[in-house]
Amino acid sequence: MIRRHLLGLAAAAVAAPSLAFAQAPAAPPAWQQGRPAEMANSPLAPHAPRLTVTPPDRIPVSNIRVPDGFQVELWAHGLPGARVMVRGDNGTVFVGTRVIGRVYAVRDTGSERQVTTLLQGLPQPSGLAIRDGALYVSAIHRVLRVDNVEQNLANPQPVDMTAAFGLSDAAHHGWTHIQFGPDGRLYFSRGVPCNICETDGERYALIHSFNADGSDRRIEARGVRNSVGFDFHPRTGHLWFTNHGRDWAGNDNPSDTLHVNLRRGEHHGFPWCAGGFQDPAVPSQRLCSEFPPPAMVLGPHVAPIGTHFYRGSAFPEQYRNALFIANRGSWNRSRLAGFEVIVVREVEGGRLVQEPFMTGFRDDANQRFVGRPAGVLTMPDGSLLVSDEDNGAIYRVSYRR
Amino acid sequence: MKKLMLAVGVLLVAAAPAAAQDAARGERLVEERGCTACHGPRGVSPVPLMPSLAGQQPDFITLQMILFREGLRQVPAMMEPARGLTDAQIQDIAAYFAALPSAPKPDRGPRNEALAQRGAQLSAARNCNACHLPDYSGRANVPRVNHQREDFLAHTLAEYRDNLRVGADTQMNGLMHGLTNDDIRAIAHYLAHRE
Repeated sequence: MIRRHLLGLAAAAVAAPSLAFAQAPAAPPAWQQGRPAEMANSPLAPHAPRLTVTPPDRIPVSNIRVPDGFQVELWAHGLPGARVMVRGDNGTVFVGTRVIGRVYAVRDTGSERQVTTLLQGLPQPSGLAIRDGALYVSAIHRVLRVDNVEQNLANPQPVDMTAAFGLSDAAHHGWTHIQFGPDGRLYFSRGVPCNICETDGERYALIHSFNADGSDRRIEARGVRNSVGFDFHPRTGHLWFTNHGRDWAGNDNPSDTLHVNLRRGEHHGFPWCAGGFQDPAVPSQRLCSEFPPPAMVLGPHVAPIGTHFYRGSAFPEQYRNALFIANRGSWNRSRLAGFEVIVVREVEGGRLVQEPFMTGFRDDANQRFVGRPAGVLTMPDGSLLVSDEDNGAIYRVSYRR
Repeated sequence: MKKLMLAVGVLLVAAAPAAAQDAARGERLVEERGCTACHGPRGVSPVPLMPSLAGQQPDFITLQMILFREGLRQVPAMMEPARGLTDAQIQDIAAYFAALPSAPKPDRGPRNEALAQRGAQLSAARNCNACHLPDYSGRANVPRVNHQREDFLAHTLAEYRDNLRVGADTQMNGLMHGLTNDDIRAIAHYLAHRE
């Protein structure tokens, strides 16, 4: 009887329109949806991930450029796939990854940084959050909590919270960002399991929040194609998030975007509208004018990942509460774009401006890249850590008057 | 005795200066770890469902070996051989196999023209050659798929379709979605009979 009931539920789920799209045998693969006939023979494809250790002498620190007065040093290395970073109260920096499935712990002994692998074998553990001494790890649908993590670095005992959160296990665009909000709730992004499609807006294309135990799910932002980075403004508490526009709509469309979520449940436009681009591939049309415009357009295919408000005071005054965004860089564009850290600042009259902050990863003359910035974190001394996913490295940016 | 030799080997490799990939070091590791038992001498597999590795893309071998080592791609026969390998050792092994000459499998059986034609059409419709290149020799983390065992190709494509195999991303899972076993057999036959 129970079995029959379960089967019935499964059949109902398959019949729902959103899933029917994914199940239809004729559906093109997720990453190719919306690919026009004239681009059928395009050689563009995602860059190969580098999962091996880059020796320190081959990490391109000397290529990196920052504004006058700032300096960059190599802070840690030997962390293949390093992306998001969070810091425990006792100073351990935890680092998430995707393909290599690891979570690293970095201890600073003052003279050097010791890197250990805390967890491994996880499906794309891209989301890390820390509160009350416990590390939360999000890996597609899996959620783990390691209590007293800094006291148990050698022998972590994760509590499996997967069932309590009940997240989708669809892998495509399933790599999450997670963070505790000022309200104490744990926020997760969840992308669409496609390139461009009409999807189940209650499950995908959103940012949702939960109590720390996985209960009381609430949708915070809708119509978000794929956000892999967000933060809460240190003064207003508003949720600011970056979003990846879709592929195969051309070199210059649509733009990736930065948004602020002013009202809970606000719809930001996917699949109909992205950064002012009215998507012709979506049959039922809703107009861009129906949605709040993005706070800023970041450029086509730049792939914003780390999205982090500077919380220190060591940088000059204009960087107080400024938003740093690590643009991991393009693949679906004939000329490379992104591969740099930008800073978004508020100027007179509340207007936002963006400026390059950390450049030199992209070699325009040869159309190649030497690194992919991914995560950003303020340290207690006001310096800024930036992870480089391609080189498995962490840089430290500091300011000297 | 064998254990002792392995330990010495590891020490030697660890003591060596960090050099680029070295096919000669890779060959010694391949002998020590017994890779040839399944993948064949000179990387041409005589064993059903075991892939040939001669001329395979080194970045692809490196990626897969790391997925085996990390327990992310679970193939029982590969757990022991991959255990404890350093990144440098994996890159040496990859360099060794990549440098071996690749050629059509000598015992691949007669070509079925109708089946190959159907496979060619299914391949063209999926733009397989955009990533695997027009001669299907692959590039970077995209594997060479010509000169491969037909049974291994069919097995692997079905694993992607059934979400039993992971890669660096979901592309192959998406591309195989909805294909029948007959479709997959046709693609495998077409690829195995490429020159």
